[in-house]
Amino acid sequence: MKIQEFTKDVEKNVGRCAALSEKAQKKLNAIVTFIDHSEQIEAVKKMDPSLPLYGVPIAIKDNFNTKGIRTTASSRILDNYVPIYDATVIKKLKDAGAILFAKTSMDELGMGGTNLNAYTGKVNNPYDVSRISGGSSGGSAALVAEGVVPVAMGTDTGDSIRKPAAYCGVVGFKPTYGRISRYGVIPYASSLDHVGFFTTCIEDAARMLEVCAGRDDHDMTSSYEKVEEYEKNLNSDIRGKKIAILENVMNSIEDQRIVDNFNEVILKLEKRGAIVERVSMDETLLQTLLPVYLIIANAEACANHSNLDGVRFGMREDGNDLEEIMINSRTKGFSSAVRKRFVLGSYSLFVENQEKLFRKAQKVRRVIVDEYRKILEKYDCVIASAAPTIAPHPEDSVGEKMSDTYLVAENFMILGNMSGYPSLTLPSGFVEGLPIGINVTAKAFDEQNLLNICKAIEEETGLENHTAGGSYEL
Amino acid sequence: MNFETIIGIEIHCELKTHTKMFSQGPVSFGESANSCVNEIDLGMPGTLPCLNKHAVELALRACMGTHCDIDPLVKFDRKNYYYSDLPKGFQITQQFHPIGKNGYIEISTETGTKKIRLNRIHMEEDTAKQFHTNFGTLIDFNRAGTPLIEIVSEPDIRSGKEAAAYVEELRNMLYYLGVSDCRMEEGSMRCDVNISLRPEGSEIFGTKTEIKNLNSISNVQKAVDYEVERQTRLLLSGEKVEQETRRFDEATKTTVLMRKKEGNVDYKFFPEPNIFPIQLDEAWIEQIRATQPQLPSQRKEKYMQEYGLSEYDANTLTQTKELSDFYDEVVKHTKEYKLASNWCMVELMAVLNKENISFDDNPCSPVYLAEMIEMVSKGEISSKQAKVVFEEIMKGKDPKKVVEEKGMKQISDPNEILKLVTQVLDANAQAILDFKNGKGRAAGALVGQVMKLSKGQANPKLANQILNEELKKR
Repeated sequence: MKIQEFTKDVEKNVGRCAALSEKAQKKLNAIVTFIDHSEQIEAVKKMDPSLPLYGVPIAIKDNFNTKGIRTTASSRILDNYVPIYDATVIKKLKDAGAILFAKTSMDELGMGGTNLNAYTGKVNNPYDVSRISGGSSGGSAALVAEGVVPVAMGTDTGDSIRKPAAYCGVVGFKPTYGRISRYGVIPYASSLDHVGFFTTCIEDAARMLEVCAGRDDHDMTSSYEKVEEYEKNLNSDIRGKKIAILENVMNSIEDQRIVDNFNEVILKLEKRGAIVERVSMDETLLQTLLPVYLIIANAEACANHSNLDGVRFGMREDGNDLEEIMINSRTKGFSSAVRKRFVLGSYSLFVENQEKLFRKAQKVRRVIVDEYRKILEKYDCVIASAAPTIAPHPEDSVGEKMSDTYLVAENFMILGNMSGYPSLTLPSGFVEGLPIGINVTAKAFDEQNLLNICKAIEEETGLENHTAGGSYEL
Repeated sequence: MNFETIIGIEIHCELKTHTKMFSQGPVSFGESANSCVNEIDLGMPGTLPCLNKHAVELALRACMGTHCDIDPLVKFDRKNYYYSDLPKGFQITQQFHPIGKNGYIEISTETGTKKIRLNRIHMEEDTAKQFHTNFGTLIDFNRAGTPLIEIVSEPDIRSGKEAAAYVEELRNMLYYLGVSDCRMEEGSMRCDVNISLRPEGSEIFGTKTEIKNLNSISNVQKAVDYEVERQTRLLLSGEKVEQETRRFDEATKTTVLMRKKEGNVDYKFFPEPNIFPIQLDEAWIEQIRATQPQLPSQRKEKYMQEYGLSEYDANTLTQTKELSDFYDEVVKHTKEYKLASNWCMVELMAVLNKENISFDDNPCSPVYLAEMIEMVSKGEISSKQAKVVFEEIMKGKDPKKVVEEKGMKQISDPNEILKLVTQVLDANAQAILDFKNGKGRAAGALVGQVMKLSKGQANPKLANQILNEELKKR
């Protein structure tokens, strides 16, 4: 469903999505909290109908603070947390006329890539409910893929928007670090966290970027860079654009069907006049992506989540003294997967380990980003298949095999988080009836160029506005 | 055996800003509990820090006043620990790159002046205030996030007297610089003293104890004196000084054990990812330097050297910053430095003290006072009349109007006065005779009559002079 398909009849829009969502919830388990829309509808009806998101229902990943609406980040410890404030981007959506439709499931606190580690349980893939949606923004990806809502907000720390977008067959866009304010978004790892969204087409992604982007004085890392008219300027003429295929990724993919699909798309782009070349990065460097990412992310995360102690908000467990209350609340409040990450993060920050783990990881991050930047200095974008497989079954998704496929093709999108460069995944076809995607990454703040190239790809794949839940149309 | 006392002092000083270090929450004292907080101060999930520029300015002023090397690249770090007064579970501080390093201040004691070196000045945020009661611990988050600087001395202090002089000098300086209101009793300046003893001539430091939270300068001295005595006693009797944290007990004037130090806590310091390093503008630093308020010693020197005031006057005027500031305002409008000093020190202070008015509510305009002083010095009004005018100035009235309304113009025309003198002398033959017979007092009585005849408006000096001249002629 596209934004433009929505009428200016707010009640009708919301009613349509609400009816869909009830059925979809049974199928997907994507929603953590349903929202009562009556007040929002009344408020929006008083607004200017020409607003870019007037009356458009938008699903929100459950780590965005929504004033007065329960926000759990899919963690038990926040099961009763009702924020007293709106995240900046939530304010912007409201100001643009959007209706906050529902809060969606995620891997607990953003930690995970499967959405299996959510307090409300697994989110099912709309194309095959036995398979995973991917994560951590799995609920948002699934709802858009199912056609329940046209847009859903997500966050991306490793590939948490772009991987589920690939598995679910939707557009998943993480703009440049600092392009969208992080204020009010429950963090995972501050230096890697990005706010982004899912849509069914590039046009909607451009409109969403225009609404969400911009400097926010509440987020010192947000940029003063000018926000452009991305939707109006959308132009799929890519003649002369220089596109770099990241060879390491394509070489490590075992599923030939995915490689073939990718190559087909590339041929079409060349026909359109794009200059496509193959580039490769130091393989060892790419193999360090995951460990370096985990060290930095977990270290930042263990500090970021120290406020979740059961004392001022959240679920509190009893204890004889303060320390016991904190220990009990945190032990019961977090899943073992999250506690494992805290332990690892804490370990890498200890005085005796910090230099050889955390600081070293930061240095390697700079080396990786330097090499990545050198490629993008010569090209408009870097392109590769977004995932080496179709969405797996749960039992096939958790093993951390140290293979090339795993280390490189499965995790290369971390490059976008380490560098902060804008990165977008869009659907490129189907294998066994399940969607596969392509990932495109451009220079910092070069979102317009990135969207233009992706628009061209979308025109070639014909997958604009493709959703799984056709049978639900009212 | 004789011991040498080694003292180092850490001072936490609240900066005089309107809002908190990293949030727009108001800085307050004595407001009702938890009324000056927002989501950031409470460490709610998703909040981000935003650095207070005014706090950086005040920290720079402190660095400039204490001759510190300023690091123009401002960086912050996280200090991680769990406690109920620390809402985020970490404190944002400057562990690795303090804003100021390698400074010094000069203190004076009976034995002369001495340089005390400063190791560092760094910025950080305050914690919440806890109240331990019989029915549990209460937390007031109003103080949470208040901007602080921590000033760490080198171990250059050798006695209780020096310790007290050091704290007093710093307090005076920071207060004059407008950095802090330095109210030790209210906790806006808090003092921790580290003390160890070593045999005279030894190069190795002994085991130190730390006395926490001394709340007055006299207690600094008392606590040090007691602690030196206690440690001396221990060492002389062959016992060991334990590394521990102690507090000063007002009632018994002794130091009491709070807790033993069990190894060093690992705070897992690492750079704050939500605040990028900030390069301070050199011009901004210079502008702050150029507008640095003068310190008491500089003001005293100016008063004595430039204005020719006595040391006593200079000391009195600089006893408080407010009086000194007021005096500086007055002498912007008159060059009668001595007169101005008298009026400020004596008449003004008398009224303010009597009426219990603070300088914040001082109704006296420095410009009006200066105008009145000019009138006195030009002989336009008498000192006696000036007192009446001053009363009116304290009611906010313009001295020129007061003089006009009350018809107070002093008669300073010699011809006018001669007329009055002649009139009096003609009517008092007996008094003239008495004067000629050696009764000096008779002249005084005659002047009094002249003044009476002029309704107090004759210039007394002139009246006296002319009368004496005329007497000699008769």
